[in-house]
Parts: sequence; structure tokens; C-alpha cells
Amino acid sequence: MIDWSAFLLVALVALVAASALVSLYSVGLRLLATEPRTTPATAGAWACFGLCAVGVLAGIWLIVPALHG
Amino acid sequence: MEIALLVVLVIVVALFFDFTNGFHDTANAMATPIATGAMTPRVAVTVAAVLNLVGAFLSTEVAKTVSGGIIREGDGGVQISPAMIFAGLIGAVVWNMITWLRGLPSSSSHALFGGLIGAAVVGAGVASVDFGVVLSKVVLPALLAPLTAAVVAYTATRLAYAITRRQGERSERGGFRYGQVFTSSLVSLAHGTNDAQKTMGVITLTLIAGGFLSAGAEPPFWVITVCALAIALGTYTGGWRIIKTLGGGLTEVKPTQGFSAEASTTATILASSHLGFALSTTQVSSGSIIGAGLGRRGAKIQWGTAGKIVAAWFVTLPASAAVGAVAALVASLGTPGLVVDAVVGAAVVGGIFLLSRRTPPEQQTAMEVDVAATSVLSRRRVRRLARRGSLDTPAGGVEAPLLHLDDRPPAAVAPGAPDDEEPRR
Repeated sequence: MIDWSAFLLVALVALVAASALVSLYSVGLRLLATEPRTTPATAGAWACFGLCAVGVLAGIWLIVPALHG
Repeated sequence: MEIALLVVLVIVVALFFDFTNGFHDTANAMATPIATGAMTPRVAVTVAAVLNLVGAFLSTEVAKTVSGGIIREGDGGVQISPAMIFAGLIGAVVWNMITWLRGLPSSSSHALFGGLIGAAVVGAGVASVDFGVVLSKVVLPALLAPLTAAVVAYTATRLAYAITRRQGERSERGGFRYGQVFTSSLVSLAHGTNDAQKTMGVITLTLIAGGFLSAGAEPPFWVITVCALAIALGTYTGGWRIIKTLGGGLTEVKPTQGFSAEASTTATILASSHLGFALSTTQVSSGSIIGAGLGRRGAKIQWGTAGKIVAAWFVTLPASAAVGAVAALVASLGTPGLVVDAVVGAAVVGGIFLLSRRTPPEQQTAMEVDVAATSVLSRRRVRRLARRGSLDTPAGGVEAPLLHLDDRPPAAVAPGAPDDEEPRR
């Protein structure tokens, strides 16, 4: 029958991963929209986008079997 | 002679199934970026096609069983014969074409399982199907996948709107369009690594059964190549009808929602394929769009359309099983039966294609989605235009006017007007 613990794990991981990615990107956009624009805000925004890029790379790593054996 | 004919038939139908798989599933990745104008339809399907092509070559892991344990095969079970695979594929292809005609996103894997189940029941009796596995692998996930994705996408959308709540004059939410390009590309790549595998497995299994390959052989390089090309071509052709359903038929998708929905789809699919609980990409992506729709205040969900989609998910397996069963019955007559199957199958597919031409041309409907989505000027753009005096609306551009191709304001066609003020075509 159905493996509920595996399902719950999948649901939780998906929830956390998606929320983290979307939050980071949103915070990045939010920081870019600060008025007047300050250097720390811009740097913070790009740090957020950088973390998002890391998330995307992690996704590619997971998708390509050759990368993780 | 007969076995050679059979193998050729199976390869042809399998490649066509791969093709329908491609254009059925373009929408999963590309419906929301097209709807929000993050990518134009042509660019979106090109990106999806290239990533599917690349993805098909990337994956070295081949699905060992085509049926995923639903049919009791191997020792003590039934031997899946090439004729059964052929009949099963016909069932899957016919059902994929019918759902495409209706613009319904349904799972291509389930259509394949259904076709094979129907063929197996006719060829080897009801006992050859493990209905416990059907319940745990097909029926329950069909409920869980969209629910999970909807909850994830709802949460992500609420977070995104809360974080980017408008503080002053500026709204930064258009920036979500750039993010969409990445998240939807990931969905496409994941699709390519998974879905072309199914067809490669089917063809390899048939070659083994026909004695052209030794048992346990890896798929030959030409099989990988033709499968990759078939799914890429299908993706590029674009199932505009399904794109239209997912991109605008369920709910109006804004960039914030599109980004959240695609991020949720990616996260859910990657989690499910790496933590051992398989969920259908199609169902996850539909669920994400509904969740994102619920997450924006004032957004409306077309529950009628959602209901039709869910109904299609539950009908997919029995319906393609029925077609597969009939095809298997005819195929059991021998070579004439196979030829009849092939001819009737081709006639049905051709007929559905002709039917689809009678209703509005696909390219045009996709264009409508695109134009409707990109022709709504953002408030910032309206202000910019108003400042320059090139937009003449009574309210001074407070309400974003909806432009149509046929009633463009004169300003937008005036010479020297920047490109981004015109509805994209």
C-alpha cells in the first residue's frame, strides 16, 4: 500500500524548498525596490539572487544522474 | 517475417507516443511563463524542446520495467509480448490525442500504464494485473499530487505577495518574470530526463523480445537518439490547447503566481523523484497553478475547468485500458489483426487532427493568450507613457487599459514608439 512516511517527507521537503526559493527571490526583489536605493540593499538583493542561483544549480545537480552517481 | 513487422510497428507507434508525450507536457513547464509574458510562445517551446532533447541524453538510468510493477511480469507471471505492447501503445496514443483535443492535461504515463493493463487483461487474463499496485501507484497519487502541489504553491504565493507588498510607488513584482525563465526550464529538463526514458524502455524491451538484442541489453544509441528527437519535436510543436487551459483556463496567472507555481512544481517533482514517492508531473503542475491562484487575493479559479481536468485524470487509466484491450483483441488475430490495428489507429489519430483544425487554429489561440497577457500595461508603464503624453486615457492612466490588436490606441502605432509599448505578437 501507500508509503505515508515517504509521502510526508516529499511534501515537507517540497514545501520548505519552494518556500525558501520563493522567499529569497522575493526578498531580493523587495530590496532592489527600496527607495532611495542604498549599496547594502543592492548587495543584499544580489546575495539573495545568488542563493537562488545556488538552488537552481542544486536542482540541475539532482536532475542529471551523471553528477551524483 | 511477422516478428519483424511487429517490431517495426511497435517502434513507429512508440515514437509517435513519445511525440504526443512531448506536446502533451509542454504546458507543464511553459504554460505560466507564456501566460505572464516571461517568454514568448515561440521562445518558450524552443527552450522546452532543447531541454527535453538534452535531458533525454543526460539520463543513463533506464526504466527496468515499462509497466512499473502494475503488470505481474517475469518469473511466475506473464510474458509481455510485443503484440501486447503494440496494443497498449495504441491505447495510450489514442487517449493522449483525445485529451489533447479537449485541451485537458492528463498524465502520459498513466495513459501508457492503462493501455498496457488493457492489453494484458485481454492477452493474459485479469490476474496478470496487480490492482494493489494500481491503487497505490496511480489512483492515490492522483489525489495526493495536486493536493500537495496546491498547498506548496499556495504557501509560496502567499509568502511572495507578503514579502513584496507594495511600500511606495514602485512595484517590483514584474521581476518575477526573470525567475520564471529558470524555474520553468528546470521543469523541462526534469521532464526530458524522465519521459523519453519510458519510450526507450518500450523500444528496447520490444527489440529484446523480438530477438534483436540480448536480454538485459542497454538501449542502443540510435534508440536514445530517435526517442530524444521525437520528444523534442513533440515539445516544439507545442500542445497549444493544453497550454491555453493551464495558462489561462484555470485562473489568470500573474508573474508572482507563475514564479511561485513553477518553483513549487520543480520542488515537488525533484523531491518526489529523489525521495521515492513518484508523483505525476502533469498533476503536480496543475495543482501548483490552482494553489497559486488561491494564493492571490481576488483571483478567480474556474472550478468547472479544474473539475474536468480531475475527471480526465481518473478516466485516463480505464479509457486507455479499454482502447488497449480492443486493440489487443484485434491483434490476437495475427498479422491481419496488427495491420487493422495500425490502420484504424492511424485513422483515429488523423481524424482527431482534422477535428482540431475545424476549431480555432492552435497558433491563433496561443497568440490570444500571449497578447492578452502582455498587452495589459503595467501601471508604471502607463505612467511613463502618460508623462511623455503619448497615452491618452481619460483617467490619466490610473487604470491599466487592456489593449487589443484590433483597437490599438494611435499612440502605440505612432512611428518611433518604443517596442515595449506595443502588444507583443
